Amino acid sequence: MFNSFLKSELKYTLKQPMVYLFFLIVFILSFAATSSDNVTIGGSIGNVKRNAPHIISVFTSTLTIFGLLFAAAFFNNAALRDFKYNFNEILFATPIEKFGYFFGRFTGALIISTIPILGVFFGISLGSTLSPVFGWISEDRFGPIQIQSFISNYLVFVLPNMFISGTIIYALAQQFKNSIVSFVGALIIIVAYSISGELVSDLENEKLAALADIFGIRTYGLISKYYTPIEKNSINPSYSGLMLLNRVIWLSLSLVILITSYFNFNFVKKKIRRLIRVKSSKTEIKKNLPLPSISLIKENLVTQFLTFYSINFKNIYRHVTFKILFLFSFILLLTDLISGYEYFGLKSYPLTYRMTDSISGTYLFVMIILVFFSGELVWRDRDEKINEVIDSTPHNSMISLLSKTISLFSLTIILHTFFVFCAIVFQLIKGFNDIQPSVYFWDFIYRAMPLYLLFCSSSIAVQVIVNNKYFGYLISVVLILVIDIILLLADIESNMLSFGSTPFLIYSDMNGFGPSEKGVFWFNLYWIFTGLMLLIFSSNLWDRGTNNRFKDRFKFQKENLSKKVVLPSALIGICWLIITGYVYYNTQILNPYKKSKELEKLAVEYENKYKKYKSLPLPKILNAEYKIDLYPYQKKIDVLAEIIMTNSKNIEIDTIIVGTQKTWQEKIIFEGASLLSEDKKHNVQFYLFNPPLKLGDTIKVIIENKFETKGFSNSGESTRIVKNGTFLNNYEILPSLGYNSEKELSDINKRKKYKLPPKERMPKLKSNCKDDCTKNYLTQGLSDFINVESIISTSKDQIAIAPGSLIDSWEENNRNYFKYKVDHPSQNFYSFISADYKVERKKWNDVDIEIYYDKKHSVNINKMVKAVERSLDYYTKNFGPYTHKQCRIIEFPRFSTFAQAFPGTMPYSEAFGFVINLENEEKNNVIDAVIAHEIAHQWWAHQLVGANMQGATLLSESFSEYSSLMTMKSIAKTPMAMREFIKYDHDRYLRGRSGEVEKELPLFKVENQSYIHYGKGSVILFALQDYIGEDKVNEALKEFLDKYKYSNYYPTSLDFLNVLEKKVPDSLNYLIDDWFKEITIYDNRLKTAEAKKLENGKYEISLEIESRKFRADSIGNEKSVPLDEWVDIGFFADGDEKELISQKRIKIAENTSMLSFQLDTLPVKAAIDPRHILIDKVYSDNIKTININ
Amino acid sequence: MAELNIKQLKKTYSGDILAMDDISITIKSGMFGLLGPNGAGKSTLMRTIATLQKPDSGTINFNDINVLESPKEFRSQLGYLPQEFGVYPRITAEQLLNHLATLKGINSKNERKELVDYLLERTNLYDKKNKSVKGFSGGMKQRIGIAQALIGNPKILIVDEPTAGLDPGERNRFYDLLSDVGKDVIVILSTHIVDDVRELCTEMAIMDFGKIVFQGKPQDGISELDGKVFEKHIKKIELEKYKKEFNVISNRLIGGNPIIHVLAEKADKTFKKIEPTLEDVFFSKLSKNKI
Repeated sequence: MFNSFLKSELKYTLKQPMVYLFFLIVFILSFAATSSDNVTIGGSIGNVKRNAPHIISVFTSTLTIFGLLFAAAFFNNAALRDFKYNFNEILFATPIEKFGYFFGRFTGALIISTIPILGVFFGISLGSTLSPVFGWISEDRFGPIQIQSFISNYLVFVLPNMFISGTIIYALAQQFKNSIVSFVGALIIIVAYSISGELVSDLENEKLAALADIFGIRTYGLISKYYTPIEKNSINPSYSGLMLLNRVIWLSLSLVILITSYFNFNFVKKKIRRLIRVKSSKTEIKKNLPLPSISLIKENLVTQFLTFYSINFKNIYRHVTFKILFLFSFILLLTDLISGYEYFGLKSYPLTYRMTDSISGTYLFVMIILVFFSGELVWRDRDEKINEVIDSTPHNSMISLLSKTISLFSLTIILHTFFVFCAIVFQLIKGFNDIQPSVYFWDFIYRAMPLYLLFCSSSIAVQVIVNNKYFGYLISVVLILVIDIILLLADIESNMLSFGSTPFLIYSDMNGFGPSEKGVFWFNLYWIFTGLMLLIFSSNLWDRGTNNRFKDRFKFQKENLSKKVVLPSALIGICWLIITGYVYYNTQILNPYKKSKELEKLAVEYENKYKKYKSLPLPKILNAEYKIDLYPYQKKIDVLAEIIMTNSKNIEIDTIIVGTQKTWQEKIIFEGASLLSEDKKHNVQFYLFNPPLKLGDTIKVIIENKFETKGFSNSGESTRIVKNGTFLNNYEILPSLGYNSEKELSDINKRKKYKLPPKERMPKLKSNCKDDCTKNYLTQGLSDFINVESIISTSKDQIAIAPGSLIDSWEENNRNYFKYKVDHPSQNFYSFISADYKVERKKWNDVDIEIYYDKKHSVNINKMVKAVERSLDYYTKNFGPYTHKQCRIIEFPRFSTFAQAFPGTMPYSEAFGFVINLENEEKNNVIDAVIAHEIAHQWWAHQLVGANMQGATLLSESFSEYSSLMTMKSIAKTPMAMREFIKYDHDRYLRGRSGEVEKELPLFKVENQSYIHYGKGSVILFALQDYIGEDKVNEALKEFLDKYKYSNYYPTSLDFLNVLEKKVPDSLNYLIDDWFKEITIYDNRLKTAEAKKLENGKYEISLEIESRKFRADSIGNEKSVPLDEWVDIGFFADGDEKELISQKRIKIAENTSMLSFQLDTLPVKAAIDPRHILIDKVYSDNIKTININ
Repeated sequence: MAELNIKQLKKTYSGDILAMDDISITIKSGMFGLLGPNGAGKSTLMRTIATLQKPDSGTINFNDINVLESPKEFRSQLGYLPQEFGVYPRITAEQLLNHLATLKGINSKNERKELVDYLLERTNLYDKKNKSVKGFSGGMKQRIGIAQALIGNPKILIVDEPTAGLDPGERNRFYDLLSDVGKDVIVILSTHIVDDVRELCTEMAIMDFGKIVFQGKPQDGISELDGKVFEKHIKKIELEKYKKEFNVISNRLIGGNPIIHVLAEKADKTFKKIEPTLEDVFFSKLSKNKI
């Protein structure tokens, strides 16, 4: 019986086109993703093959989310087919066996629903076979096709995920005998999945999130988080560890559901009828009643619209599905509001723009609700069999469709209003009173409303045009989700074709909706009218009547056009044309842009054409004077720069090459030189010196540079020149000198494709560097420490800031002028900023501490001042004097999230500290950390800067991270406090190396790789001071600084190691090799921990320890090396690992060792490396709760 | 006097099923019965007249309105009750009629209310006006159906198989309603039940395989068969034999054995001459067509 039901299920479904259609979609998607250069999936970059097992796993597991759709289709069908065709009564009257029927159908659906996802395997296999043959993508980007990967993925993801989602849907379908409930079941799963995702935002909850993930996607993410490229190319997912646990949890849960459903299942169960029967009235029909008079029968579009609207609207909001979906979006919003940390376990205040960002997380869900109801509304008359009556009334079809659209839109307004209400309640509960209703309002107008209007009209139009409910759903979902992938494949970047896209809009307290507001406004208008046009178009294809053929449908509507409709339609059409023209003019003609493919080609051409001039000698900048006029409200800037340069080398300079900026109008006058030629395509100019510059010759260059914003552009306006919070650095406002290697393509695989040699990220580290050490990595030899003077003006309400001390300020022409001059020659690397600031000032010794901030953001200013003072205290005491007269922290809008150090000046993003909630924070926090880091740069980068070669950023970034950690350590109350911080650095390093695209290098050869110089650098230097002592490390740093500060010889990491080695005792000398010169990873674990009470009242604790040390190569091949290490063993008094009661550093030379310790009190936990200072991929197994014998 | 003129209507469905095969017919005010077996193409013709379906060719004129060219004008004079009349869930009788009245162009709220009340009163559903129509019995639903078709005093009323599934009482009540419509109105009633036509219609047509096989007054059809219909009780096994030898127009069982009606100029004594009924007309037209 089981077999026959299974067979009939397979036979039936395989005859339907659906399974093949789904398969084809998945197949094409995977094939395109594997074989198109425009798309990269799952991080198949650098050394990770495009068809690596890891990539297949990421792709397959993610696609199982779409698999929900397949499950919903097939399982629902298997459960309800007999009911749909009223066959149940016939079928169930025969003596069939419950088990065979229930599980036969289930198993059939399970097998079928996994078939579409097999498309991934076929797509990837074909993609990896064909791409090299046709030269789409080079052969070395593909590894061998591994059947094993497909099998593992099928067993770990595809089959279980289909089983789990299938069970839920099947059980719901069997229980409620209603397709809509099954559909809702699929949505429950999606929501559950999203919610478990909210948990991942902090390291603390990763594991929980991994287990809570119904698809196992994040479980795999966590497992593979630290995979090196080589591991990504070779490891297949398997049933082990966390994955096993996840699968067991969810599989057993679904098994319980399935079995419960089985026992609940009953052949004779009927549809639950909620209908209230009305008692028949059988009295005779009354005759000869006077007929009421009707004054006029006339077409009135408004009353038609209103009656349609009220009927449609009632239909939606009384729909059970609507109520359920409403609830889900609410849960979705709530989890987003409640959970999630931003920085080191801290959160921002619930600012209104944060709330609107959270609300925007529901957009997608709301759009799916829209798509669902669009089908309901369009098909309802036919489903309820009232269509013939409605269609034969003399109403207007366009009004009918318009009312459907507007009813849908009303639904989104209700949802959105409710979400705003929830957000405001949330703000109030959090005790946050600064609610900005206008931000809620404009956010709706700019972001939600146009999107909803467009998708309301488009999904109605699609349903009408396609004239098949489910196919219509598919097309609408494609418009929402897949269109961007299609455009990417087609190499189209215009937002005008990407359904609903606008330039990026981001709200900032400082700057409102930002510079792209205008563009967004016009794009929105464009989309709203496009939606209307679609609606008008589709109303001519509306299947009024019954089963009309496509051509009949069109004929019918032509007759139906009335003047009242033609006129407004024509008007809308004209408006649409004007708007489209205007947007097109602005985004394509006024502000043309190059597609990324074209840019790539330009970069290649530039390199091929001009690389030969790379070694052309260049003069060095000695002095710079600026006159800058900022017009923030016009988004306009005028720069006049006078640069003094000198030939510092004993080679004559006759030609120099200058790179201009396309978006600026530039006028360059070289004293003693004339323009030789210009290449407008690549923005290159050549100047000829006549006579040539000799050693010591000094020239003046005058540069007039203007930037003006015209109209709006496709991708949005520059976020650097804005109405409040303009922030530019000197490189952005001046042309570049010499061949600009930053323009080169950097992606190793793209370079290969264009037959370019691999690009050196940084010159090789040399021990005897001579001339190479006359260039530092910041200015690349174009200048040393120079003097800068600026006069900068801005609008009357703003303060403008340039490098150095403020010499003078005045008002002129209703504008503010400021004159600045640097106090100490500095690197040619500084910023110009203007905004409406409040300023907090404080004196620290001779230094002016100044915090420039937006008046709304005063809450953390005192903490910032304290952090500045603490840093200045520690650094002046341990490294040497501060060389500027002022120390400025300057807030800039949250268009980007970073902080940066220029001499004496540190711009700091609005989003990153100014709005963070530190009210309950006694400990160190992100503000302390970031400020300390940036101030440390005033020593490490601005006093001493590395030569332009590998290892340079160790001397700036790692040292600053170290310095910052030390200021925090200086106020840390317990030895355990720092572990909370260091863990983020461990994570940053291990995660970073997992995503390395070229090669990982040891710390002393770091090539500006942030995961190494920040992540690993801070871990290593922190560990170093723990092993050799903070004072020893500081001594080394001070000695190194004293030797090289403000020197024109720029040191290398080897110079530092030379100084450091003298401070390291011989017994620990191996650390320099292990930590700086090699890539070393530890794998320590505590196997057992047993305690025994001794007769003397003490406790003996025996530990079994397993220890390994690995050397890794640049792509992550690891090999075990012999041990001879000092490692800490510690004991915690509490389960939370807050109180470290004893710690001992011991030598470990064996892979397994048994140790025993005597302690006065009984600890709760034992740990190897209790403060987490060694790099260990799995740290959690280092700690164990002690067993008492 | 209203007049509906149908000329050379043709409609072929996918495949090559002829649903309307060159139909030409003129219908004048009064009750017109369209009789035909299931699948004869009645509904296609009804839908086509009701502007819900396009014919492949042909014309329809109602008075001076070209129905296919100006459907909207025609629709405002049309009342239509389709074969399957469903209703929205969660909507009351009054709301439904009010909605449809608005769509038919009755824009004054007061007039609409008056009209809806009137129709509910006439169909004797006034006391159920706040009840959900979804819960109505088949007969009550059909009454709502006729009530909506009567909105706006239509000049032409099309009712497609209105009594299918109604018990005899409900059926009578329904026809009472229908026969009360004004004199100048064309009422087209499609049905496969001969009695319906006999009881109500002054004019009729019989449709089979997409063709009009008979058109005229019911009595004309009967007169045509006068003296040509014979009846005989036979045994079940003899049926095939009789079918071969005679023009058997119908057979039905009585007490397990068939009684056959035969169409012939004359017959031997074992046959009994009978008065032809409309049913005989119906079957005789069909069976002609079958050969």
